[in-house]
Amino acid sequence: MSARPITTVKTIVTGIEEAGADIKLFTLADPDRWELPPFKPGAHIDLHLPNGLVRTYSLCNEPADNTRYVIAVKREADGRGGSRALHDDVGVGDIIGVSLPRGGLAPDARIGRYMFVAGGIGVTPFLSVVRHLQRTAQAEFTLHLVAREEVPLAAHLGSLIEAGTVVVHRTSRAGRPDLAELVGDPDPETLVACCGPEGMTEDFERLTTAWPTANVHIERFVAPPPIIDPDAKPFTLSLARSGTEIQVRAGQTMLAALQEGGIDIATSCCGGICGACKVGWIEGRPVHRDRILSPYERERYLMVCVAGSDAERLVLDL
Amino acid sequence: MLDIVSAGSAQKTAQLGWTGVVRFLHLAPRAFLPMRAAETITLVAGKGIEGDRYMIGKEEGFYSHKPEEGRQVTLFELETLIALKRDAGIELGPEEHRRNVTVEGVPLNHLVGRRFWLGDTLLEATRLSVPCRHIEEITGKAIFDPLINRSGLNCRILQGGIVRVGDTVRNAA
Ligand code: FES
Repeated sequence: MSARPITTVKTIVTGIEEAGADIKLFTLADPDRWELPPFKPGAHIDLHLPNGLVRTYSLCNEPADNTRYVIAVKREADGRGGSRALHDDVGVGDIIGVSLPRGGLAPDARIGRYMFVAGGIGVTPFLSVVRHLQRTAQAEFTLHLVAREEVPLAAHLGSLIEAGTVVVHRTSRAGRPDLAELVGDPDPETLVACCGPEGMTEDFERLTTAWPTANVHIERFVAPPPIIDPDAKPFTLSLARSGTEIQVRAGQTMLAALQEGGIDIATSCCGGICGACKVGWIEGRPVHRDRILSPYERERYLMVCVAGSDAERLVLDL
Repeated sequence: MLDIVSAGSAQKTAQLGWTGVVRFLHLAPRAFLPMRAAETITLVAGKGIEGDRYMIGKEEGFYSHKPEEGRQVTLFELETLIALKRDAGIELGPEEHRRNVTVEGVPLNHLVGRRFWLGDTLLEATRLSVPCRHIEEITGKAIFDPLINRSGLNCRILQGGIVRVGDTVRNAA
């Protein structure tokens, strides 16, 4: 077997805790309890599940707690299978590959107040944020948690609920809170954020149109695709020697698509300067973007870590 | 032009005079994990650093880069960290560049193909390191471009031993 590149952070499941309301908390750590790659409050990671699915979850612990990644997963019986796989098939001691953490709130000295609105399990991206803000006391904050009856992760929010920084709105008793009132008037020193079911995030988006965009943050249950070049288009790689075809998604690198397809490519810099991933091309219109090939070489080669395609089909000498 | 220079038409060889110091030591057991500072590290001849991710034979069947016989230990210049701060306003710590040994006073780019002593261990410089795009993801800093051509040195370990912070680095004639 030829060696494969490591593309994920190797973690081991060190704890699984029932947190009520069909939610389980999973704790992931390095096998030797080494520090994990750092993250910002509110960041998320992809889990590469044993059944091949890749799913994104918010980190619930705070960044200073740097040897663990804690995620809260609600079992969605009718979901796409990620939460079921985690709830039903994953146990303590299992190895799970995860991505580097992405996203989250960068510290911003201009912001003096944070107002978060969460619907149900939508509270997860805010857990690490409120814990972080509570510990650092860098700004005022209030988290409005809207739930039908049972408060998700109540045990983990107890002290904050007592302190009044987390306000619970039970819709079964008091109806829906007035979002407009919670959002209030645009204020350059306030950041407002929302995560919850689609109806809620849509209302929130409408109510914040007058706000400066930098002060509004909306997180959807289905993580948005990574920021991609708006002009990027999907294309097909056709591998001349092996006779296979591989689809490259919009914004995906050729390298990632080839690796997903089980094709082994040597890489080093992944930024188009080292020359490790050079591959010959036969037909098509490659967009090069590397900084190593000469115009002459570009007529025959491309660097798969950075190159794209201007045509729908690109034939590679692989 | 270059062959004229290296042919030494003036019949003189330029001598590189330097003695350097080990300032920081770092390692990480697996890909992507933050580097941890160490006071001492143990170099194993022909293999790598004990406990480090590049130790040959560590992760069977996987590599975080293409496995390289010539990258058993990696070095980085403290002067580059200072220059990054001075010229690009980027503060990069010795734990962030992901090389094992941060040295001061050692002209790394001149050493490719040469042997030198790192404390009591003997190294052979195989080639310059290239920066890795993932380092921007890991550190969140735009350092890929500024690190081109000064991203450190890959070495093979000819003679192993313990390396300590404060050890001397010198040419092995
Ligand atoms: S991996 Fe370095 S050029 Fe592609």
